[in-house]
Amino acid sequence: MDKKLVIPGDFLSDEAKLAEEGTYVEEGKVYSSVFGIASLKNHIRVVPLSGKYIPRPGDLVIGTVTEVAFSNWIVDIRSPYEGLLHISEFPRRIESTEMSRFIKTGDSIMTIVKDVDARMKVELTLNDQRTRIIKEGRIVEVTPSKVPRLIGRGGSMIAMLKNETKCNIFIGQNGKVWISGKDKGMDLAVRAILKIERETHISGLTERIAGFLKEEKGEKLKEKEPEVIEEGKEEKELDEAVKEEPISQEEEKVQEEKQGGILDELLGDDK
Amino acid sequence: MSKPEKLIADGIRLDGRKPDELRPIKIKVGVLNRADGSCYFEFGGNKVIAAVYGPREVHPRHMQKSTSAVVRYRYNMASFSVEERKRPGPDRRSIEVSKVSREALEPVIFQEYFPRSAIDIFVEILQADAGTRTAGINAASIALADAGIPMKSLVSACAVGKVDDTLVLDLNKDEDNYGQADMPIAMTPDGNITLLQMDGHLSRDEFREGLEMAKKGCTAIYEMQKSALMEKYSSQIEGDNSE
Amino acid sequence: MSNEIIAELRKDYIYNLMIKGEREDGRTFNQYREITIDTNVIDKAEGSARVKIGDTHVVVGVKIQPGTPFPDTPDQGVIITNLELIPLASPVFEAGPPREDAIELARVTDRGVRESGALDLSKLCITPGEKVWMVFIDVHVLDDGGNIMDASALGAIAALMTAKLPASRFGLGDDSVVPLRDVPVSVTAVEIGGSIMLDPSMDEESIAGTKLTVTSNQAGELSAMQKSGVHPLTTEQINYIVDIAIEKAKEIREKFLVI
Repeated sequence: MDKKLVIPGDFLSDEAKLAEEGTYVEEGKVYSSVFGIASLKNHIRVVPLSGKYIPRPGDLVIGTVTEVAFSNWIVDIRSPYEGLLHISEFPRRIESTEMSRFIKTGDSIMTIVKDVDARMKVELTLNDQRTRIIKEGRIVEVTPSKVPRLIGRGGSMIAMLKNETKCNIFIGQNGKVWISGKDKGMDLAVRAILKIERETHISGLTERIAGFLKEEKGEKLKEKEPEVIEEGKEEKELDEAVKEEPISQEEEKVQEEKQGGILDELLGDDK
Repeated sequence: MSKPEKLIADGIRLDGRKPDELRPIKIKVGVLNRADGSCYFEFGGNKVIAAVYGPREVHPRHMQKSTSAVVRYRYNMASFSVEERKRPGPDRRSIEVSKVSREALEPVIFQEYFPRSAIDIFVEILQADAGTRTAGINAASIALADAGIPMKSLVSACAVGKVDDTLVLDLNKDEDNYGQADMPIAMTPDGNITLLQMDGHLSRDEFREGLEMAKKGCTAIYEMQKSALMEKYSSQIEGDNSE
Repeated sequence: MSNEIIAELRKDYIYNLMIKGEREDGRTFNQYREITIDTNVIDKAEGSARVKIGDTHVVVGVKIQPGTPFPDTPDQGVIITNLELIPLASPVFEAGPPREDAIELARVTDRGVRESGALDLSKLCITPGEKVWMVFIDVHVLDDGGNIMDASALGAIAALMTAKLPASRFGLGDDSVVPLRDVPVSVTAVEIGGSIMLDPSMDEESIAGTKLTVTSNQAGELSAMQKSGVHPLTTEQINYIVDIAIEKAKEIREKFLVI
C-alpha cells in the first residue's frame, strides 16, 4: 500500500531526492513533518489532515473584508496573514473616500493573490476575469489541504457536485467554497462538501459521495412531486448553464468563472 | 495528610505501582471545536486539556519575528484544580512552567515556515495531581500535530524522582510532597532532552540512572501519543490514487 | 459579544432562514441544542459539573472552604462566582484579567444562584461573625459555541447539587451536603430581525441585536434577568421571552436537575 497515516517524525524513505511537501530530510533520510496521509509512490509527500492556508502568488482565494483602511481593503483569507487589496487593484479608478461604496466590511470577495513577499505581505487583486464581489449564495469552509480532493481527479468530484446539485461552485485554494444556486441545491451541496471534508481519508470517497447525492435527491424528489413540472424548466436551463462551464483539467487549479467578471457586475451598477 | 511512614513497601509504591511504572494514561485528540488542534490528557489524577491556535496573526505586533513564528505557551491552573482554591490568573510558578514548557516544544516546531505569525498553545489544568507540567507538554505536543503544525517529531514528558532512597518513575502527589527528589524531563523520540528540571537530592549515579528511567517512561508515553493520533482517523485510509 | 467579523453573506443566510422560520442547524426557534451534564468530574473540587450545550463546553468547579463573613452579614455564608473567557476557548478570547463580557456572565450566573435562594446562606454559618463557609463557583469555559450564559448557569447549579461541605478536612465535624433550597435555571433568548430564538449558536449570538437571559426558580418565578446588547426590545417581546423561558426552564430542570 503506497499511502499511510503518519505523524511528525515518522520515517518515510531513504531517497532524499524524492522528498516533497510535508517532509523533512535529516542525514539523508526522509521523515514526515506533519500529521497526515503520506504517499510514497514516485514522490514522497505528506498531505496534512489540518492546517492553515499559506498564500502563494496566483492562488484564487475567497475572503471576507474585515476593514476598509486608507487605501487598502483588509481581507481575511483564512490564513495567518491578512490579504491587502490596494485601491489600485480595483478594476477601475475610484477615490479612497468612496472605497466603502464598492466593497464594505463584511463583504465577501473572490480574489487572486498577486504577490507575497518574504515578510508575508500578501497583495490581492481584482484585476482578473476570475475575480468578483460575491453578492449571493453560500460559503462553506474546508481544510485547505483537502481542496484537491474536493476538486477530484481531473475535476471529477466538483463536476459531479455541480451536476447533481445544479449549483455553481467555486473553490478557493484557501478552502473557502462559494456555492450559488437554488436553496435546496445549495443545502445539498453544503452537506456533500462537509461530508467530503470529514471523510477524505476513507477509501472510495467518490463513489460514496455519488451514492450520497443520489440518495438525498431521491428523497427530495419524492417529497416534492407536485412541483416537479413547474421546476423542470428552470432546472433544465440551469443544467445547461452548468454544462457550458468548462471543467479545469488540472486538478489543483481552481475552477474558472467565464460568465461575467467583476467588471460587468460593477459597471452594471452604474447604469 | 501527613507523611506516610513508608512510601514504598516490598518494592511496591502506595498506589500499587512498581518503581518504574507509569500511572494510567488516557488520551483523546480533537476534543475542542474552536481550537485548530486540541487534546485531552489524563495522567493519573491529572486532567489537562491543551489547545493550539495558529499559525495566526500576532497581537501585539511588536512581538512579531520577521523570519519565524513566535511560539507562545500559557499554562493555567483552574481555580478548582487543587485542594486549596487557587486564585485565578498567572502567578510566578505558572509563568515559569509556561516558559520551560514552551522551550520543551520549540525545538521540534518548524517555526521558520511561518514568519510574522504566532503559534499559541494553551494548557488548562482542570485537575492537578503531581506532574501537571509533563501532562501539559504531552497534551500540547499532540494538539500541535492535530493543528497541522509542521514538526520534527512529537515531544513526550514524564518525571522521575526519589522516594525512600529508591528511584521511581512518574511521582504521585505524596511522592512529590514527601520524596527526596523530583526531576521532570521531556524528550523527542530520538532521545534529545528538551526539558530538564530537578529539585531535591540525587547522587551523580542516581541522576544517570533516573534519566534512563525517565527516557523509558517517555518512550512508553510516545507510543500512546502516537496511537491516540492514529485513532482519530482510524477508518481505512484512501487506497485508490485519485489524489 | 464577539469581535469576529461575520460575513454579510452569512448574516443574510441566517436572516433568510429566520424569515422561513428555520435555523441553520434545523432547530425550531424554541428548541435547545443537545444538552449533556456530567457531575463530579473534578475530584479536587467539592462539587463539579461539565456541561455541553451543542458545541459549547464549560466545566464548573465549586470549592468550599471556611472564611470570614462580611461585616454586614455576620451569620451568613459567602458565594463568590468567577468566570474567565480563557483563550483556549475561542480565537477571540484573550489572556488577562476578566473583561466586561466575562464579568457580566459571572455576575448573571451569580445572581441566579443567589437571588433564587438556592443556597441557604444562614446554614453556611459556622461561628457567627467569625467563621462561615465560603462557596467559590468557578466557571471554566473550554469551547465557545454560543450561549455560554446558560451553560455556565446550568453548570453552577449542577455542581452545587453535587457539592459537599468539607467539614472533616477542616476539623469541623462530618461532611454534609450543601443546603440547597431551589434550582434556578437560566434561559437565554436572542432577537434577530424581530424573531425570538432560544439558545443562540455562536453565529446567531454574533448577529443578534440583543440577548435576554431569564433565570427562574422551581416555583416558576423570576430570580434574575439580564438584557445584553444594544438593540431595544419591546414589552411584548420581553413578556413573550419571560413566558417561554419559565416554561423551558421547567423542562430543563425536570430533565437534568432532579434533587
